Amino acid sequence: MTRLPVNLMIGAVLVGLVVATAALSLVWTPYDHTLLNIRDKFAPASPVHWLGTDQLGRDVFSQLMAAARNSVAVALTAVFIGGSIGVSLGLLASAIGGLVEDIVMRLADISFAFPALLFAIMLAAVFGPSLTVAVVAIAFINIPVFARVARASANQIWTREYVFAARAAGMGRFAITRDHVLPNIAAPVIVQATIEFAIAILAEAALSYLGLGAQPPAPSWGRMLSEAQTLMYLAPQLAIYPGLCIVVAVLGFSLLGDGLRDVTDPRLVRER
Amino acid sequence: MTLLAVENVTKRYRLPRRALLKPPAVLTAVDAASFTLERGQTLGIVGESGSGKSTLARMVMAFEKPDAGRVLFEGNDLAALSPNTLRSLRPHFQLVFQDPYGSLNPRRTVGWSIAEPLRATGQAERHRVSEALDQVGLRPADAEKYPHEFSGGQRQRVAIARAIVTRPSLLVADEAVSALDMSVQAQILNLLMDLQDELGLAILFISHDLSVVGSICDSIIVMKHGKIVEYGAAEQIMRAPEKGYTRSLMTAAGLI
Amino acid sequence: MIKASKLSVSLGAGQAVRDVSLLVRPGDRIGVVGESGCGKTMLGLAMIGMTPAAAKVSGSLRLDNAEMVGADEKSWQVQRARRVAMVFQEPMAALNPIKRVGDTVMEPLIIHMGLSRAQARECALSLFEEVGIPDPEARFRQFPHEISGGQRQRVLIALALTCDPGLLIADEPTTALDANVALRITELLARLARDRTMALLFISHDLAAVARSTEDMLVMYGGDIVERGKTAAVLSDPRHPYTQGLLSARPRPENVRETDGRRKRLPTIPGAVPPLADLPAGCRFAGRCPVEMSQCATVRPAEREGTICHQLEAAT
Repeated sequence: MTRLPVNLMIGAVLVGLVVATAALSLVWTPYDHTLLNIRDKFAPASPVHWLGTDQLGRDVFSQLMAAARNSVAVALTAVFIGGSIGVSLGLLASAIGGLVEDIVMRLADISFAFPALLFAIMLAAVFGPSLTVAVVAIAFINIPVFARVARASANQIWTREYVFAARAAGMGRFAITRDHVLPNIAAPVIVQATIEFAIAILAEAALSYLGLGAQPPAPSWGRMLSEAQTLMYLAPQLAIYPGLCIVVAVLGFSLLGDGLRDVTDPRLVRER
Repeated sequence: MTLLAVENVTKRYRLPRRALLKPPAVLTAVDAASFTLERGQTLGIVGESGSGKSTLARMVMAFEKPDAGRVLFEGNDLAALSPNTLRSLRPHFQLVFQDPYGSLNPRRTVGWSIAEPLRATGQAERHRVSEALDQVGLRPADAEKYPHEFSGGQRQRVAIARAIVTRPSLLVADEAVSALDMSVQAQILNLLMDLQDELGLAILFISHDLSVVGSICDSIIVMKHGKIVEYGAAEQIMRAPEKGYTRSLMTAAGLI
Repeated sequence: MIKASKLSVSLGAGQAVRDVSLLVRPGDRIGVVGESGCGKTMLGLAMIGMTPAAAKVSGSLRLDNAEMVGADEKSWQVQRARRVAMVFQEPMAALNPIKRVGDTVMEPLIIHMGLSRAQARECALSLFEEVGIPDPEARFRQFPHEISGGQRQRVLIALALTCDPGLLIADEPTTALDANVALRITELLARLARDRTMALLFISHDLAAVARSTEDMLVMYGGDIVERGKTAAVLSDPRHPYTQGLLSARPRPENVRETDGRRKRLPTIPGAVPPLADLPAGCRFAGRCPVEMSQCATVRPAEREGTICHQLEAAT
């Protein structure tokens, strides 16, 4: 019986908390998170408003819950899109090799060197700031990351003897990629995806903080932070709550990713 | 027609550059090698690491193209075939590796792996897998198991089953018994000889071990630094090696 | 002098080494032969106190009258620095890739022997010469990846000699090497043992190498020493059915054909070595033995004239 690493378990609990909150907010929040109640503004934490209200009298706890939904949705979509494109490109580069591999990987290098924030600002300037802009920008920065991970892992698999055996059997490159390469690179790709998830949540918060992502009244931890910034001396708790949420989510996914890496890395497994 | 004819085959590799402005050095892995292998015969290729024997095997398997010379399988120049024609020809020449664990996908049942050459040519026939397992001394029910459930010798039997499932006429065995224990090695060598008698297989047997090659091959090639240094009938070479290098290999193997 | 009595190494439910008794005197050259999983590597590791953490060692192992079973890592370190040394199969893996090989060999001389850098350099150079490394001065400054496999193994042997050991354990030292190189390393180990009156435990599956380098040999199967004796005698007249099977299974390129022209098949031992936990409680070879008797699987045979086998017991 192998014991699961501690970081994996803590990570899984934190991620579970965030995802469950996001899911719950779809069907239930204590109040409508957009409901204004100016008379009740800056209410302290109480049984009525669990974490109090903000400068417009909106229920903070409900806003945090709804924002979790946005964070998770943006991160999930962005990492999924970026990951799918990146992994496909990496597998393609590895399967064909030669000039195609060189071109794909040099393109990945170039997009790596391109500042993600600048790209997001450009998109926002052209299409106007929105959550979609955040998704596209985050997906874009994920493509080269996944392309590299997929290509490096796939290149290793391509040197395995069972791949030679498949070639000797007369299997084509794409059938080999589907049957042998993809299943065997799944573990490192999933680990990378979890870690990218943490980065994506942070990136969404940052973009929304800068006003390039979620627009009012769409709730977002990053936007809540930026709104609370001007009220730091009056109501510091309004900045602290969304900040804590970001920390919990990012830490959760990072620990989960590290934990998964520990479990799936064959070098570490062998030593146990 | 001669089953396999290798004519003046040369393979060179460029080594990594040592200096930016100098041309990279070139390693000649195989240097103008020629030999033939007839149906049902066994040809052994012996040499130390770096002798070019595995490079030669990769060219015979059409994993790599020679820089000069031709590899003719049943009269077809392998390097000149279109990818599709090559794929349709592949079931006729198959390969067994040194490490049976590495040559089987750990995430697939051995039945799946054995059927792979059949699927590649669109002839997935379940009874052929059972038949192949039976021929290598395993049970048809073993098809449902995964590679890690077998011992090293059994895994090599699985790898051989995959190689013969398409009823090939040529089997390339690259150090196929080197990773096995002595008692298991004898079992696998016997199996190869049985299959050869049964199926009329030709075997290209690549090994560093002259005692193994000498006891199962009809003819032997001794390679050193990419060149064939001695080539002849096995019994002749084992009785009276002409070259000092062959004699030194025999001494090292404890045969002299 | 090293004396093991009833030395056992347990791994989980199985015994990798079972009640091994062995006396090693200065200058002895002992070959340990067997297939993978027979316990030969574990025996070597037990004799240098480097069994894996999960393994349990019991019985007795005396190094010059110091009892080492149950000894702590610190006393083992003292022994390893002075009395016993080991050479492994994969010389590349055993050398630090970012250290010049000269520095690697000098380090223990400075740390354990308390030599100055200049003295250590002098000493390491003479060790390089002793193990047959050509142009030691030039090799000294090279990194492991810059020298050949055979030279690397020589560096490791020089490293093992830095503590002037009474016993050198060589675990498959030639398996990763080409035949001609392996031959020279084998000869080197035998010569060192003779010149230095150092005991050599030569662990190998290669019968030819053992024949060449050792005087005595042990044949192991399933953690037992099933046969022991003079190397020449065991190889020419094996008595245990396992040793007999092992020797006859060797491919021999002479008289390879039957009278009808068919190729002769090699004699084989049926089956495969079972996993540790599934070994029979009596004779470990039971279940694969051609001359098995009813009691073999359950009753352990006693040692008679170097072998443990019920058949031979009954015959004497």
